[in-house]
Order: sequence, then structure tokens, then C-alpha cells
Amino acid sequence: MSDAPRSSSAPPGVSPSPSSAAPGDRLVGLLRRVAQRDRQAFAQLYEATSAKLYGTVLRILKERGRTDDIVQEVYVAIWQKAAQFETGRASPIAWMTAIARHAAIDERRRQPTAPHDAEEALAQTPSDAPGAREHAERDQEARRLHACLEELEADRRALVRLAYLDGWSRAELAAHVEQPVNTVKTWLHRALKQLKGCLAS
Amino acid sequence: MTDRDDIDMLAAEYVLGTLEAEERDAVSRRRRLEPDLDARILAWEARLAPLGDEVKAVAPGPDLLARIERRIEALEAGDEAPAASQHRAPDLAQLAALRRRLRFWRWSTGLASAAALVLAVVLIAPLGQTPDEPPFVAVFQQNDQQPAFMLSVDLASRQLHVRPVTAEPVSGKSYQLWIKDASLGPDPRSVGVLDDDLSLDAGALRDFDPELLKRATFGISIEPPGGSPTGQPTGPAIHGYLYPTDRGAPQRL
Repeated sequence: MSDAPRSSSAPPGVSPSPSSAAPGDRLVGLLRRVAQRDRQAFAQLYEATSAKLYGTVLRILKERGRTDDIVQEVYVAIWQKAAQFETGRASPIAWMTAIARHAAIDERRRQPTAPHDAEEALAQTPSDAPGAREHAERDQEARRLHACLEELEADRRALVRLAYLDGWSRAELAAHVEQPVNTVKTWLHRALKQLKGCLAS
Repeated sequence: MTDRDDIDMLAAEYVLGTLEAEERDAVSRRRRLEPDLDARILAWEARLAPLGDEVKAVAPGPDLLARIERRIEALEAGDEAPAASQHRAPDLAQLAALRRRLRFWRWSTGLASAAALVLAVVLIAPLGQTPDEPPFVAVFQQNDQQPAFMLSVDLASRQLHVRPVTAEPVSGKSYQLWIKDASLGPDPRSVGVLDDDLSLDAGALRDFDPELLKRATFGISIEPPGGSPTGQPTGPAIHGYLYPTDRGAPQRL
């Protein structure tokens, strides 16, 4: 491939070597190729990440039809924005998941899903999903976050999880805990500050 | 509570997902112009990301990839870009070459760092040195959807042409066009303030060297009436996207 002039100082094109590269490195390589409009790399990136992104969006939107639409939108955005991905700012999967989460939450704010049950939602949450615990324990950052979450009062921890994982708005959380929205906002802020302090310690 | 606390909590709630629709829209606009806010959002994304490990992976239906690929094909063909639809579909190889140059520009200057996101990133680049190469138009987009402005530049004559697409005059505000290039120093330089009818003097780039124009980036920001009081973009900037176009085509949108 003939590169643009002076591009020798640019980060080298990565050709993924699945056997040796860490999964994140492979994704970085795929994203770089996608940024150069490589359709094959795009299909590989989709294969490697779609279950994670689909699960993330489905958890928030609950309906497969809407999830299909949003995941489509998300991968189109990834195709268009791949050149904006920077390794220094986030891991590839974190970057892609953030795009998916924000798209799902935006959709849920535009058109709320049918009210659903907090108990049911939370029941999915703790680390009893197969593989989740194992994955989390590999990852020191994940362990620290979970340790810090454990330090929150149980009801605040539930609010954080319902918001982050299920996309609940302040108003939905307020209805769930039967408190004014402003109270929930205050609780969320306290919980977030406590988490930040705990993670920084 | 201090302002810094406020902005940190705004970032945190944006990432957590608890803001209402309008607040979310406002934050997603603001982060493009406020490096501090953007950095805080990224920091919160990183803090909370491990929570997402708990989400069960779910395989999408078998036909979703094909659906996405069809959609991308339509987009690449220009079907979805109203401003580009009257031009020939961009040649993918040309587009790829342009994107490589754009990425190089970002890497080489750190333009994609949070601080530089203040300015829209638009590169007007000829693909070759031959005079027959088509001119390029920069399409300034908001929210990655409808083009807001198109800017075409004829490098030979240094004539520019700004055309609003979906952008409309904003009462009590002015749009201002900026140019940025390493040779002009670290900060963007004003090209001019758009008139009330959103036009700009076609000769506004006459003092710039064509070589510089080839590699410069452009941005459009929203400023107080008459333009930025500080000489630097102070208001929301509109991001850009690139389309090659037929020679002479930008004149008719």
C-alpha cells in the first residue's frame, strides 16, 4: 500500500498476528486497517467484538429489534470514526463499548423502554455470569473497581449498577427507590465521588 | 461545590448514563470544545469500564453484519450524504489516501489530542500535483449527521467558497472560519467571520500560500456577533469531514 507522503513517522501499520498478539493489540491492528477502509478487517473486528457490544446494548434496550438498529448504527460509527481511535486514550474494546453504551442510552432516553424490574435487572448483575468473574479477576483494574463498589452502601451500589449496566435514568432510579430525583442525584454524586476517591487511593 | 466538582460530576453522570436527553446532547457537544470535560469523561469511562465486564455477551443475529455492510456501502457511495449526493460518489481509494494524510496530520501535530478538538479537523488536500486533480470540499458536520457547511477551495486561484447546508443563521451569533497549520504557529488563525447570509469573501485565503492551504486544517466555530473577541475560537466548533468532488461541482449544491 502506498502511504501518504511523510507518513514514515506515523505509527506503523499493524498486521495482526493472532498467535502472538494480545487480544487488545489485535483489535488495535484491526481498527487501524478499518480506518483505511479495509472491509475484511471490519468483518474480523465485528466477529471479535459484536457479541460484547450486542450484549451491552441489549441489556439497556431489552428488545432485539431496537438493539439490531442501534448496533448497526454503532458499527457504522466505528467504521467512520476508526481513524479517531487513539491507543493512548482507551483500549479498543473500551472505546467501542463506550460508543455502544452511549448510543444505547441515547436511544433509551429518546424512547424509554417499558419499565422493568430492578430485582430482575440486578439479579443479572453480580458476577455470576459465566466467565465474568474469571475475566474480572484477570484484570487488576476490575478487581479494584469491584472492591470499591463493595464499599458503597448497598442501595447506592444498586443505583450505580442499574444506571451503568441497564441505562436507567435518574427519574427511573428515583421511582425505584421512592425518593425525589434530586435526592437520587445527590446519592449518585456521593457514590461517584466515593468511588473515585477509593480508586485513587 | 466548586466548578471543578460540577464539571467532574457532569462527566461522571454522562458516563454513568443518568443524564436526561438534552443534558446528554449538551455534554456531547461541549466535550468537543472543552478539553477538560473531554478528559474527565475519558477518565470516568476508564474508571467504570470494568463494570461492563459483567454484561453477558450475546451473539447478534446472523444477518446483522450483512445489514451493516450494506449500510456502509450506501454511505460510502454517498447516498446518505445530501450535500454529496449531487456529486459523483467518492472514489474509495482517493478517500482512503486522504484519510491517511489526515491521520498523519493528526499524529504529527497531536491535533487529535483533547486540546486540539477545540477546532474542527478538516484537511483540504490535493491527491497529486497535477492540475487536473479535482478540488476537495470540506464538509463541516454536526453530530456526524447532516452536513452543516461545505467549504470548497480552488488551490490555484486561492478562491474559497463557503456554503451552508443545514446551518442556519443564529440570532446574536456569528460563524467564524479558522485555519490551522504548523507554520502559522500553534493556534488557529481567523480566516474571516461569515456574513449574516453565511457567506464569506471568496478571496479570504488570498494571503495564504497554496502549499500551506494543501496541508492546513479548517474549522468553523460559533462566536459572539462580529467574531471571536479573543482572536481564538471561543464557541462551539463544528467538525469536518472530507469529500472529494468533481472539478467545479462545489458551486452547485
